[in-house]
Amino acid sequence: MAAVTFSAVTKNYKGDGPTAVDSLDLAIDDGEFMVLVGPSGCGKSTALRMIAGLEEISAGELRIGEHVVNDVPPGDRDIAMVFQNYALYPHMTVRANIGFALEMSKLPKPEIKARTEKAAEMLGLTEYLDRLPKALSGGQRQRVAMGRAIVRSPQVFLMDEPLSNLDAKLRVQMRSEIIQLQRQLGTTMVYVTHDQVEAMTMGHRVAVMRKGILQQVAAPQELYQRPANLFVAAFIGSPAMNLVNVTLSGSPDRPIATFAEHSLAIDDRAIARYPGIADRIGSTVTLGLRPEHFVMDGDIDLPDDQKIWLDVDLAEAMGAEVHVHATLAVPPVEVEGSPVAAEDGEEISMSTTKLIARVEGVHVVETGETIRLAVKTHLAHFFDPATGEPLR
Amino acid sequence: MSVRRKGPKATAVRVLTYGVLVIVALIVIFPFMVALTTSLKNNDDIFRYPPTLVPREVSTIAAEDIGADGDALPLYSLEGRPGTYALVDADVSLAEFRPLDDLARVITLEPSAGVKNGDTVVIDGEEEDVYVLALGDETVEAYRARLTSGGLFQNVDEASDTQLGLINLAEPLEKFGPRPQNFTEVWTDKELGRSLSNTVLVTFAVVIGQIITSILGGYAFARINFRGRNGIFMIYLGSVMVPFVVLIIPLFQLMLQFGWLDNLSALIVPFAFTAYGTFLMRQFFVGIPKEIEEAALLDNASRSKILWRIMVPLARPAIATLATFGFLYAWNSFFWPLVIINSGNPEGRVLSLTLSTLGGRSSTDINLVFAGAVIAMTPPILVFLFAQRYFVENSASSGLK
Repeated sequence: MAAVTFSAVTKNYKGDGPTAVDSLDLAIDDGEFMVLVGPSGCGKSTALRMIAGLEEISAGELRIGEHVVNDVPPGDRDIAMVFQNYALYPHMTVRANIGFALEMSKLPKPEIKARTEKAAEMLGLTEYLDRLPKALSGGQRQRVAMGRAIVRSPQVFLMDEPLSNLDAKLRVQMRSEIIQLQRQLGTTMVYVTHDQVEAMTMGHRVAVMRKGILQQVAAPQELYQRPANLFVAAFIGSPAMNLVNVTLSGSPDRPIATFAEHSLAIDDRAIARYPGIADRIGSTVTLGLRPEHFVMDGDIDLPDDQKIWLDVDLAEAMGAEVHVHATLAVPPVEVEGSPVAAEDGEEISMSTTKLIARVEGVHVVETGETIRLAVKTHLAHFFDPATGEPLR
Repeated sequence: MSVRRKGPKATAVRVLTYGVLVIVALIVIFPFMVALTTSLKNNDDIFRYPPTLVPREVSTIAAEDIGADGDALPLYSLEGRPGTYALVDADVSLAEFRPLDDLARVITLEPSAGVKNGDTVVIDGEEEDVYVLALGDETVEAYRARLTSGGLFQNVDEASDTQLGLINLAEPLEKFGPRPQNFTEVWTDKELGRSLSNTVLVTFAVVIGQIITSILGGYAFARINFRGRNGIFMIYLGSVMVPFVVLIIPLFQLMLQFGWLDNLSALIVPFAFTAYGTFLMRQFFVGIPKEIEEAALLDNASRSKILWRIMVPLARPAIATLATFGFLYAWNSFFWPLVIINSGNPEGRVLSLTLSTLGGRSSTDINLVFAGAVIAMTPPILVFLFAQRYFVENSASSGLK
């Protein structure tokens, strides 16, 4: 087990190509479960492959434990990796697949057998040891790939979107199994995913990347509560944070945010968290409200100036909660690379903003209805519309 | 299987389809059948008219079975007589007598059976002597139409029943009679064994050489980055387009310099390298997911371990294809051996050369030529039967996703 430290690590592809990873500084502690997350092309996989030694490092220094490994070949780094497509050796049995690394390290046969069987037992693969990968289901192949990694007791586990080929149910199951395995073994793990739900549920800490630049490293809750910028705010959370450009007016201790035909009073506790908004009275800022910041009028005691009327475009009853979709007649806030854009292929209007509120499931909300929602503005987030920086 | 169209029309179409396919299959297989059966025929049988597909031979009986001695005797059936006759003596003098009172009748006897009585008679303007024949109790006056030689036939069941007659008028009794000796004869007399072992050696060496060089070259082109890789690969591919006839003279001069004329090395070394095979292997290696190799790299496998333990086993279908092509090429090659093995030294000959000398213009041993041809074509057929499942086997991706 070992820590992994990036110091100003940069990856350029040939010539003047794009910078895949730009001066990355990231310290992954010994035994930590670190998730790298970001939209595709953000450099997370490249960063992972640099740890593995599958990509050359253009500049900077990468350390595993105490050793600088920039020029150490992959086989000598004592790391194990699980690939998105598992990369099992198709012509070898499960036993040979798991034992291959040990065999390459020239361990004695009885020890290979013992360790292979122990790993297989941990993953519930014992009865499949003599099968070929093609005779296994997707989940079992995934386990074999895991077994191949754990059998070596490496210093670091690397996982490159290992769950993306599984169906939704299996993904949830394997997710918890990987978490348990990591806690049990205590091995440092670096896990790459584009799925922010995986990122939030699995990691001790989550590193959000965008266009090769690290945006924020924090524990999942902090990432959610205190996003470092507009991109992180938009990227983390499902459904995503509602973002709208508002004009501030009124007094600096209880400003009024106006957008479309709505106006909302901002609670002074929000100003305590975002003191920067005091200087922005009269100008435009980006207001971020999570879906759960909306509450059905009457469920909570809030002043009337913190309530808005909305026409319900669509109400999705989820059981415990209802997702209310509405439209605001203002242009959307565009956050490049965030999943809000065109998720599920839905058409993005350039003149209206989608808003999603999450209210308690006890309410019956009909599509087409007009409802009144109270807004917990003390939890709201504020960003500079030009730079995306928080107004702290 | 999916649901198929039913009804009389569909059945008719299906029957027609199968009928056409069967006919085409028979047309394709017919030359092979002819070669195979001809290789089992004896020399007389080959020139029979009309020709038959099934090899036949004359039935015989052991001489001692009918109280004679010597070789086995051929069996005949005689016109107008029941029973089977053995040809006891194939060279007896015969005289054909025609009775004067019935000139259409022919009595075949030994010449000494007729006794001249001194009279003469004129038949068709020729003056002929009159003979007196004693046929049992009867005495016949006849003239001798001609003297010839024929056979003495003896009934196999009754030794006293003997008949004289012309052999070519008797109908030989025949039976199914393959002649496997053709194979041993062509093997020993024509030194086909030596040619075969030469061919096997050359083919084996060429195939092994091609597989090894193609794997190494193909892997390098597929996965190792080096300066000028794509340029060299283009030249490689281009060389496939150069027809072999263009290469014969330079290659011959090269072999001359090496002192390999008349030497099997000249049949092996130039053909152990194949641009086509390299291309084939490269294409296959490119198709193997890179992650498999990266996983092996992380598993601390060296380049050579990755190649021989991971890539080569995965490339088995491509290797089988390559081996089959290499095998057929080396086995069938004729022109280059004809050029190189030129001193008439039979020790260096390969099968294709020996076959060509067997079947020369003045060849009469057609059965032996065919026996040699059958020997030469059996290994390729076996190789194909063995390797064909690799042609249809799916590629390596089945272990993924």
